[in-house]
Amino acid sequence: MAAPGKLKKTFRDPLGKNNPVFAQILGICSTLAVTNKLENTVIMSLGVLFTTSLSGLTISLIRKWIPARVRMMVETLIIASFVIIVDITLRAYMPEVWQQLGPYVGLIITNCIIMGRAEAFALNNPPGLSLVDGIASGIGYSYVLIVIAFFRELLGTGEVWGFTVLGSWWTNWSIMIMPPGAFFMLAIFIWFVKGMIIKEEEAAK
Amino acid sequence: MNKDGFYATRIYPIIFMVLVTVVFISGVSGIYLSTKDRVELNETIFQKMAVLYAAGIDYPEGDPQGIQRVYEQHVSEVAGTSGSDEEPRYFELKLPDGETGYAVFTRGAGLWGEIVAIFGFEQDLQTITGVEFVEQNETPGLGARITEDWFKQQFRGKRGPFEMVEEGTADEVNELDAITGATRTSDAVLKIANRATDTAQEKVKGE
Amino acid sequence: MTASSIAIFFAAIFTNNILLSNYLGMCSFLSVSREIKTSVGLGVAVIFVMASTSALNWLVYNYILLPFGLEYLRFIVFIIVIAAFVQLVEMVIERVSEVLYAALGIFLPLITVNCAILGVSLFMVIREYSLLESFTFGLGSGIGWFLAIMAMAGIRQKLKRARIPHGLEGAGITLIITGMMALAFMGFSGMLPIG
Repeated sequence: MAAPGKLKKTFRDPLGKNNPVFAQILGICSTLAVTNKLENTVIMSLGVLFTTSLSGLTISLIRKWIPARVRMMVETLIIASFVIIVDITLRAYMPEVWQQLGPYVGLIITNCIIMGRAEAFALNNPPGLSLVDGIASGIGYSYVLIVIAFFRELLGTGEVWGFTVLGSWWTNWSIMIMPPGAFFMLAIFIWFVKGMIIKEEEAAK
Repeated sequence: MNKDGFYATRIYPIIFMVLVTVVFISGVSGIYLSTKDRVELNETIFQKMAVLYAAGIDYPEGDPQGIQRVYEQHVSEVAGTSGSDEEPRYFELKLPDGETGYAVFTRGAGLWGEIVAIFGFEQDLQTITGVEFVEQNETPGLGARITEDWFKQQFRGKRGPFEMVEEGTADEVNELDAITGATRTSDAVLKIANRATDTAQEKVKGE
Repeated sequence: MTASSIAIFFAAIFTNNILLSNYLGMCSFLSVSREIKTSVGLGVAVIFVMASTSALNWLVYNYILLPFGLEYLRFIVFIIVIAAFVQLVEMVIERVSEVLYAALGIFLPLITVNCAILGVSLFMVIREYSLLESFTFGLGSGIGWFLAIMAMAGIRQKLKRARIPHGLEGAGITLIITGMMALAFMGFSGMLPIG
């Protein structure tokens, strides 16, 4: 096991300034589409979290035996297997959610974050650390999307998790639940976070 | 291991790949097979729930045996030639008020793919007792809102031919609330709803 | 059937552009759209691969996976078909035409991880398209993606000298422009009578 310092850094980095979504703009494809409903986003995020953490762990466990030539193929295969497990589980135990998510569960495979973490981290680090890295990346990814979904659902339908929050005085911003809304919301979020980072850096000077 | 040998560069990667594939595919297949029955059960229960919902009959949610029992009490499937695949021609219902009702499958093109719905009718084959959408590929959060309760509930007691009006303004017996931002899906549902009445007439009476 | 294929083709380009309404292929879209020249290269490669793999995956799905009851393995199989196809094309291009290889070669590996390619194959299965429909859907989606990235590269080139709030530089402004493009493309939705 690595030194506690490294463990802490591994966990904290993806949550803060190295967040996969707003620092690297990676992997938003598969999940952005379902961010117009908080419930779907949370379930989708759990799927991503499950896949990043377990694929990181698995790849790290067998990293010494993976031949360099077929490295990408092996990684893809492992990631795809975990995604299929998510898909099957959802289908068996949450059929309604499964139907709503449609093809987006499968698209977790091409989520650049998972592949990126496997390549950049799991291949060179011990299993424990890779698992932590996977979990942290998954959480760092999820919370951004959950924030976006929260605002999109709230502004677009006046509801949160299907419960009406804003009263009848609220006029729904339909644009928020339509595709452009996701782009605007994500841009505003990035603006906000980057603005804070810039301020912090200036204060540090 | 010899790094540049024939074995290391040609044979080993292949063996490794095959091994990984076999391990993972068998793992995945195992999980698939172990949930297969559940998925099938889900599907039959899903259809039964849809018929009960369309008939406006209460059923115990999340209790497969309970649903089965209520279904057997209230619904009888009438088989026939024009039903596709394993679908019954129509369902004969015992409505909550003791009257006889009917339910039929109705299909139509949606924005992205086929929409399949079950419509329930009172004995006059005009007044709708309810609707459930069993298959749809509409845009999540927009067109897919046709599966939300407020949208489906508004069909109860309505009679065709229908008209779609702006969301939240329907008050006539033939008016339905459209979904803001999902014009295409709303139009598609309108078509399906109007077709449902014809389908019911044709299937139930044309025996 | 032909009529529906044509409708699907135009819907995939305009009203339901795979990038602007399904957010697929965002990663490479954001990173490559800086230059017009590279955008064109990647765009052309995407059109070609998308159209071919959607047809190829349709054949694999309907003639291999379905008859053997293996449809639950489709994620793995599709991604392998795509990866293998891209690899094959790369090898062929390298042997056949050096000019083409210089223009497209470096983009091909990028494509395997482009979510839009896999997305098209998955949509095709869920929507139960026929072979022709799948092909036109893949072709249309590719062209739609090409249009979006071209337009974006053009706009970004003009923005190079513009003054932008610090926090919005890079990804932020790109996303806002993408949002506006999505809005503009929604305007096409009156154009097609589908369904």
